[in-house]
Amino acid sequence: MGLTGVLILAAACASTPPAPTASLQAAQRAISNAEKTEAGRYAPGELGEARTKLASADTAVKEQRMTMAEQFADESRVEAELASAKTADVKARAVNEEMTRSNGTLIEEMQRNSGDKP
Amino acid sequence: MKTINPRGVMPGTMLIATAVASVLLAACAAAPVKPDGAAEARNKLTQLQSDPNLASRAPVAMKEADTAVRVAEQPQADQELGAYRVYLADRKVEIARAQAETSLAEDQRATLSAQREGARLDARTREADAAHVAAANSELAAASSEQAAANSRQQATELQRQIDVLQAKPTDRGLVLTLGDVLFENGRADLKAGATGNLNRLVAFLNEYPDRNVAIEGFTDSVGSEDYNQGLSERRADSVKSYLTGQGIGATRLSASGKGKNDPVASNDSAAGRQQNRRVEVIISNPPAASR
Repeated sequence: MGLTGVLILAAACASTPPAPTASLQAAQRAISNAEKTEAGRYAPGELGEARTKLASADTAVKEQRMTMAEQFADESRVEAELASAKTADVKARAVNEEMTRSNGTLIEEMQRNSGDKP
Repeated sequence: MKTINPRGVMPGTMLIATAVASVLLAACAAAPVKPDGAAEARNKLTQLQSDPNLASRAPVAMKEADTAVRVAEQPQADQELGAYRVYLADRKVEIARAQAETSLAEDQRATLSAQREGARLDARTREADAAHVAAANSELAAASSEQAAANSRQQATELQRQIDVLQAKPTDRGLVLTLGDVLFENGRADLKAGATGNLNRLVAFLNEYPDRNVAIEGFTDSVGSEDYNQGLSERRADSVKSYLTGQGIGATRLSASGKGKNDPVASNDSAAGRQQNRRVEVIISNPPAASR
């Protein structure tokens, strides 16, 4: 009975759920999307972190630590999504700054022109 | 990497095993607490939600962030699970912020575009205005040159009227105005009082046309000696000149000379002819620019 109890206990603690395939795939997709938006250039910290988390998830899968693997995969996914979001934000601001600058130039030129011949 | 074979577990022992495991888990677990970092995630979310420029933007991401923060705040005995939830919550808040800021930037871009269009429109309007001003100016210039032409026509008309008033005759030397001998007492050079009407019209004319000079020439009939007639014609011419200078006409514009009995305009055989020959001619020079 004692031995059985130990076995049962071991079975309960080390039961092996399947690998979190969906989460891993979602993370990989999120990273690919981020790469497409040039996150490597605009949000390199977040993209790097997402890759590291995905690698950790893979390692956890190999170690049969599936819960941990799923958590790493989810963290990788949100980190990659953040990389994409930040990239879009940086790009949008850059466009606005350029427009503000060129508007300023346009207005300045116009005032100079009108100053020439009032 | 070792796997436990579930076949080692007998069906009959399942109940007991569950009970033991439960006890064991309860023993192992720490008291459930709010995970570290959950409060920080909540703060970031609250900041985002209270930003009037961002709060209403990226509603889907906002909702997900809100849900993630609520999950992260749940007391959790499993520290790793708690940290995982806090991590997700934190990143979702940041995603929501980034998306909201992107949306704000896009809205601002519309304003910037409008501003640019406005600036371009202004530029075009100014160009058009400048063109209008130029057109108006050239119209004005045309009108003013028309006005000048009209003025010049009017001046010519006025000149002709004045010439008519003076009863002057246009000749090659200029306008010739003949003052009859009625201006003078017989044999004298003094101007008759009250006989200066025609001279006053001459004064007015010379005041009106200051670029014209005047030659005053005196003539007599053939009665009397040559010296006498020469002298008399000179004095009469001088008399007219003095009258004109007395009326304010510059002496430099005036020259006076006597021609004696020369250049008669009529026969000296009759009294009427001699009367015509006794005269003073005022020759008004043509203006320098108008002389052709």
